[in-house]
Amino acid sequence: MIELDVNNVSKNFGGLLAVNHVSFQVRGPELIGLIGPNGAGKTTLTNLLSGALKPTNGTIYMNGQRIDVLPPYKIARAGLGRTFQVTRAFRRMTVLENLLVPALAMHPTARQGQFIKKAREVAEFLTIDHLLNEYARALSGGQQKLLELGRLLMLDPDFIILDEPFAGVHPKLMEIIYEYIIETNKQGKAFLIISHDMETIFTLSKRLLVMAFGKLIADGPPEEVKHDPAVIEAYLGSDSDEPWKPVRKVKKEVVAA
Amino acid sequence: MRGNMRLLKTLTWVVGTGFLLILPWLIPTRMHVAVIALYYAILASSWALLAGYGGQFSFAHMAFAGLGAYTAGLIGKFVRLTSAPTQTCFEVPLGGWWMVIQDTASPTCLEQAKATMPVGSLIVKLPPWADIVAGILIGGLFGLLIGALVLRLRRTYLALFTIAFAEILRTVVNAERDITGGPGGLKLDPLFPNGVTLLGHEFGPADKLPPYLLMLALFLASLGLMYWLAGSRFGLFIRSIREDEEAAASLGVNVVRYKILLFTVTAMIAAAAGGVYAHFVRVIAPNMMVIKEMSVVIAMAVIGGMESLLGAAIGAILIEFALEQLRNDITVGSFTLNMADWRLVVFGALLMITLRFWGNGLIYPIIQRITRRGVAEETVAKRLQAASANPEEGP
Amino acid sequence: MEFPSIFWYTILWLIFWGAVGALVTPRVYAHKDKFTHQTAMLGAFVGAAFGPVGLVLLWWFTPPVTAKWLTLTGLVTLLWLSLAFAKADPDNLCVTSGSFIATQIANGLVIGSIYGLMALGLTLIFSILGIVSFAHGEFYMLGGMVTYYFTQVWFPDINPLLGVLVAALFTFALGAIFELLFLRPMITGQIERPGEYAILVTFGLAFFLQYTTLTLVGASPKKVPRFFDYPRITLPSETGNLLKVTPGNLTFFDTISIPSARFTAMMIALALLFALIYFLYRTWTGKALRAVSQDRQAAAVTGINPKRMNTLAFALGGMLAGISGAALVQVFSWVPWVGIPASSRSFVIIVLGGMGSLPGAFIGGLVLGVVEALGAGCVPDPNRAAAYLPAYGMIILVLVLLLKPTGLFGREL
Repeated sequence: MIELDVNNVSKNFGGLLAVNHVSFQVRGPELIGLIGPNGAGKTTLTNLLSGALKPTNGTIYMNGQRIDVLPPYKIARAGLGRTFQVTRAFRRMTVLENLLVPALAMHPTARQGQFIKKAREVAEFLTIDHLLNEYARALSGGQQKLLELGRLLMLDPDFIILDEPFAGVHPKLMEIIYEYIIETNKQGKAFLIISHDMETIFTLSKRLLVMAFGKLIADGPPEEVKHDPAVIEAYLGSDSDEPWKPVRKVKKEVVAA
Repeated sequence: MRGNMRLLKTLTWVVGTGFLLILPWLIPTRMHVAVIALYYAILASSWALLAGYGGQFSFAHMAFAGLGAYTAGLIGKFVRLTSAPTQTCFEVPLGGWWMVIQDTASPTCLEQAKATMPVGSLIVKLPPWADIVAGILIGGLFGLLIGALVLRLRRTYLALFTIAFAEILRTVVNAERDITGGPGGLKLDPLFPNGVTLLGHEFGPADKLPPYLLMLALFLASLGLMYWLAGSRFGLFIRSIREDEEAAASLGVNVVRYKILLFTVTAMIAAAAGGVYAHFVRVIAPNMMVIKEMSVVIAMAVIGGMESLLGAAIGAILIEFALEQLRNDITVGSFTLNMADWRLVVFGALLMITLRFWGNGLIYPIIQRITRRGVAEETVAKRLQAASANPEEGP
Repeated sequence: MEFPSIFWYTILWLIFWGAVGALVTPRVYAHKDKFTHQTAMLGAFVGAAFGPVGLVLLWWFTPPVTAKWLTLTGLVTLLWLSLAFAKADPDNLCVTSGSFIATQIANGLVIGSIYGLMALGLTLIFSILGIVSFAHGEFYMLGGMVTYYFTQVWFPDINPLLGVLVAALFTFALGAIFELLFLRPMITGQIERPGEYAILVTFGLAFFLQYTTLTLVGASPKKVPRFFDYPRITLPSETGNLLKVTPGNLTFFDTISIPSARFTAMMIALALLFALIYFLYRTWTGKALRAVSQDRQAAAVTGINPKRMNTLAFALGGMLAGISGAALVQVFSWVPWVGIPASSRSFVIIVLGGMGSLPGAFIGGLVLGVVEALGAGCVPDPNRAAAYLPAYGMIILVLVLLLKPTGLFGREL
């Protein structure tokens, strides 16, 4: 049972407060969406959680252990896995080797052979099993994204952060990723998903966090958040029932003018 | 299929080792070159582990070899074992013996001590193997230090830092003539000062066969060690670090530990090669650490194939023999080409062209062709299978 | 001669407290929720300058890091070093003779201006192509060689400046050809690992050029007489207190003496520097180059061809090195491997000045020139002083990379 406590976390980049006193809790296998306009500090927040950046202020506890002071690899071993906005497969390693890295890192005394079966299953689940012996660089962009998700399954964390899992993905692959999230969530893993794809994130998540200018401005069920005046303000700077859809309209008007 | 592969691999290793073992009888006059070729093979393959597998483009590899060589040489020059305390020199008791470290400030202290020491006392040098081992330890220590210092530096910065380290070390060795002999060089004992008996045949200290076999043993041992490392989790992790440090860390890989470990291990292998080399050539000079030597090792690894330990080693051996062979002038009619100079030009051009057109080197693709045979066909077959089972998704 | 231990103890003291400062200070700042940016460096400087007392005060007050503090503590550290040196070796010329120091510094600045020019070429390449050319010294070597052959062997009576011009054209063309053949594939995606490839292929070029030159011209040192003999001038005319010029030497204020060959070289460097500034800031092509160095994509959108700018930058960089070599061939004797230490110097300078910073490169050049001149002049044992010459710059390089990898004027990484 995952417990994550983010207490008053801030990150200061030489004067720019990228993340501004953010606090939230996660209890159990929740499925959380994290949205916000560009530059709201979403990626910085994930970097703080995964230890790639150290907060200037505040603490992060996971399952009672303070993790904001740990190096990234220890955070990963403590049970927090993540993907990156731009896919970062190990390009000159085979798919199988890509999958073995996290499994071996998690089990310091295990042998490689123990995980090959599991890797095969994971690859099958993600429909890339026919590529196991190919170098990752030979995979398409979407397949590399699947490979990243596969690595997370091998790492087997309790809490998974996905940074833009649906960006630039073929609809067919999107289905697979969607199914992956639902299935894995059912197995008791919590998710924090950053996405610009509002439709998907609204149907997928049970809870939404909204960030703007480094601050967490809303936290609640999607329906509630949708009508939160602060959220509408952040997205549009004006009143509207559905902040995300009219954005395109506004753009069109600007072009027309 | 898989069983055949394993058989093929084993066979290749057996044939290769066997060939190197009988080499002395094939080319008895070129044994010197053969030993040097193996020396380069060890350096090139360990550099391939460091740079090709680990992505750490260090230019300090020859400096580590130099550390091994000079540690061995300086111990031979300054350290003695005595059976009785000298009382005039700096000394440490060592299991019934005394280890005396001479000092440039009082170079004659041992001579003076001889008068006061009991009759029949022994003053002996450390055996070569002991100072080679000391060299390996010193090399490992410096590898650890450099590895820890360059943790934050990537690519170009790492290259510049390691060049600077190598140059500082070479400059110090060059400048401190009283200790190291400076550019004039430092003399060492032969590998087997009292000769050695192999299979009932006696070899003198100047014979080339025993050093060849020793270097071959070191070569096979280090290659074996590196293959074992590369095939284990260590190899997997350093390759993931090469590809993407941050992603590797996010998957639980202890980046710091494996980077430092990689520097330490390769530095120790280089130092071992340097120590044996020093006792073999018997005079070492700071020139063994110049940038040009480093270029030669890098070129060998690149031409052989940086991402393959065996490729780099084979590349080194072939190139060393080729370079030696090409010393002879080529005469076409009345036109004579002075190959002693041109061979290095050709070598440089070959390096650039290999990099430009065959990024994986010239030897590695051949090895890969053998070991990865069938993988491509297998994938294509599986793709077709997947496509036929799932018509809307093309191969 | 044994050098008194007081000097070494001082150095150990500085290093120890510097290291303590560098390691602990960022933690203290982080603990107090202050910016940790550059605090390691400030800690190192304060530790070295004021020892434990300074560090305790620093940790107590944790002032923001400013250039003022860094400069002040840096100067105090230098002062300690000089004092310890003076105490340890009171008879050294560097301690007893002010005019000797002045001459060394002046000569250091003169040579440093050429180093700066050469490093400018390397930093130009880095800012446009994003790579460090490990063959930079070989362009320098070739510049000198071409000048030697042009003015001494083929056309013995020609104006030496024409030799410099020919060297410039030659190295420019060589740079352009190499870029087109070997570096262009990097941006067209034909090379799998561009970063590593750039290091290795320029390294290969260095090797190739060295041995090609060696094979063609041999290993014997080449010597070019100074380009110009200066007219005899004395100012004021009766005593020559202010300036005394002889064909081979200039003396300022009766104390600072600069050989005229070096002076000519500096003049060439300065002329080139001004021409380069004019080119980069006043011409369309120069502005395009700077635009590409700041933002490739944006520049491409405005109609600049970044590929052509790559070729131009590499050729120009090589040419600057070539001209530096051509200017210095009258000062030093020339062998095919003069490029190796020259390369190392350029690396030191661009790291010291900050990779990609043009003013940083020139100032870094001056600093290195002075450091080398003082090192060569002041280290007590002359044999050792000369033997350690390559190490001075390398020690700077190591220190900068460890303390402040962005250098003096570098962009943030």
